[in-house]
Amino acid sequence: MSSPLTLPATKAARPRTALVAVGAALIAATYLYLVLVQPAEIAEGIGGTSSLITLFGFLGGGALLVAGILPSLSTSSLVLMPLGIALNIAIGQTAGSLGLQIYLDAIGTVLVAVLAGPAAGAATGALSNAIWGLFNPLALPFAAGAALIGLLAGTAARYGMFRRVYLAPVAGLVVGAFGGLVAAPVAAFMFGAAGTVGTNALVAAFRAVGDSLLVAATKQGLTSDTIDKLVVFTLVALLAYALPRRSRAQFPFLRRYRVLAGRTGSAIGR
Amino acid sequence: MPRRRVFNPLTELLAAALLVVLVLVVNTWQFSLAVLVAAVVPGVLFSGKPRQIALAIAVTAGPLLVSSFLLHGLFFPEGTTVLAEWGPARVTAEGLQFAALTGLRLAVFTGVLLTAALTVSIPELVSTLTHRGWNRRLVFVVGSAVGLLPHVAERSRQITRAQQARGLVVGGSVPSRVRGLLMVSVPLVTGLLIDAAERTQLLEARGFSSPGPRTSYLPDTDTAGQRTARWLMAAGVLGFACAWYAVGAGR
Repeated sequence: MSSPLTLPATKAARPRTALVAVGAALIAATYLYLVLVQPAEIAEGIGGTSSLITLFGFLGGGALLVAGILPSLSTSSLVLMPLGIALNIAIGQTAGSLGLQIYLDAIGTVLVAVLAGPAAGAATGALSNAIWGLFNPLALPFAAGAALIGLLAGTAARYGMFRRVYLAPVAGLVVGAFGGLVAAPVAAFMFGAAGTVGTNALVAAFRAVGDSLLVAATKQGLTSDTIDKLVVFTLVALLAYALPRRSRAQFPFLRRYRVLAGRTGSAIGR
Repeated sequence: MPRRRVFNPLTELLAAALLVVLVLVVNTWQFSLAVLVAAVVPGVLFSGKPRQIALAIAVTAGPLLVSSFLLHGLFFPEGTTVLAEWGPARVTAEGLQFAALTGLRLAVFTGVLLTAALTVSIPELVSTLTHRGWNRRLVFVVGSAVGLLPHVAERSRQITRAQQARGLVVGGSVPSRVRGLLMVSVPLVTGLLIDAAERTQLLEARGFSSPGPRTSYLPDTDTAGQRTARWLMAAGVLGFACAWYAVGAGR
């Protein structure tokens, strides 16, 4: 459907695996370092070095991921990405200003991941937070977590978690748990776990019981993120099934892995 | 009155980012406060749209500051100097100090980056990135996402109004809210996807995926001097950070 008119169809370049691997390793190393080494330091109340490491590790890792993934994407996935990013920012900004306990800022990422696959989802997540950073710098350090959400959502879609509407919330719950774990050190070391009014009440409750800041932020992340992703995955599943067949037919990922139940435009796509 | 642009957007964004890095490296409340007073406040005042930027900073950082003080002021189990106590909530000196330190850092972080980002002209940034030979897929995604944002907001407003004219009631119970959300988001996403499909064909027809050099219709506002300055600034901050940590380790 999207064959170029001026050039013979060229195969999409292979993803630059080395860049992706280095990016992922950097993010994983940053996370492990923050969780294993720093909890002693935060008790004294100073976290400048850990903020710096958080910022560089997660942002740099996200940038490497994007650099590795972008050359391999098809034009139709690439055109989908700005759409997902704009949806993320528009909806996330609204949810944040309403003071909800959940963020809803991953609807676009998950939608792109379901329609175009894990690689496009990961790139959308990372770029989305980078661009959102232009309007709301507080979103910037969460870029790596958003990339992980996109990657996992796409993988879940590839293995059929969106074929039944009732499976999508389950996938959301699991992905949300991972997302919460990754986001917690960012929240704790960059912002002292201060978030919106809603998430703050949760952190305060865990702190009142006597948890350390990282533990309280992790528990809050596990609570908020699982519920948030459960809602987001359900919404995206409902959205994807509500799309007209013509719109679904333009995404080869949907056809190849039979992401959605039913005929998924195979009659048109062939 | 729009501000007369002095530097290239890339230079300004890099300078803002490096300032944030400096604040994180030094990490004392005195330095954070100094940057806030000496850099952020004049930057906002001379930006050409001080009210808009001040409002954006207040909306972004304000709630976070308030909640930071409430959170750490009231619940800081590590604190020993208790100033007041109500039930599970204890006001501790250490908690307030922690809140002040993170709060100031946050204020600088949002202030510096927002001032730089809100004064940057996105078309100029995109054209600079093209001239500097950045990955054009990245340039396309960034430019197109920023361009889509107001479009998405406007479109969702129109769809909400249309559905309200058909009897959609916003608010009420949770199921009715969810239904309202779906009634707006399904047409929104469908419309955007159809637009995207058309754009794909238009881009392909114009050789978007073909290799080869690109021409930007906007002139290059970057200069060799600024390019050198960017490298020097980055090297300077890196050197300072190394020296700072070396001195800190020696002490």
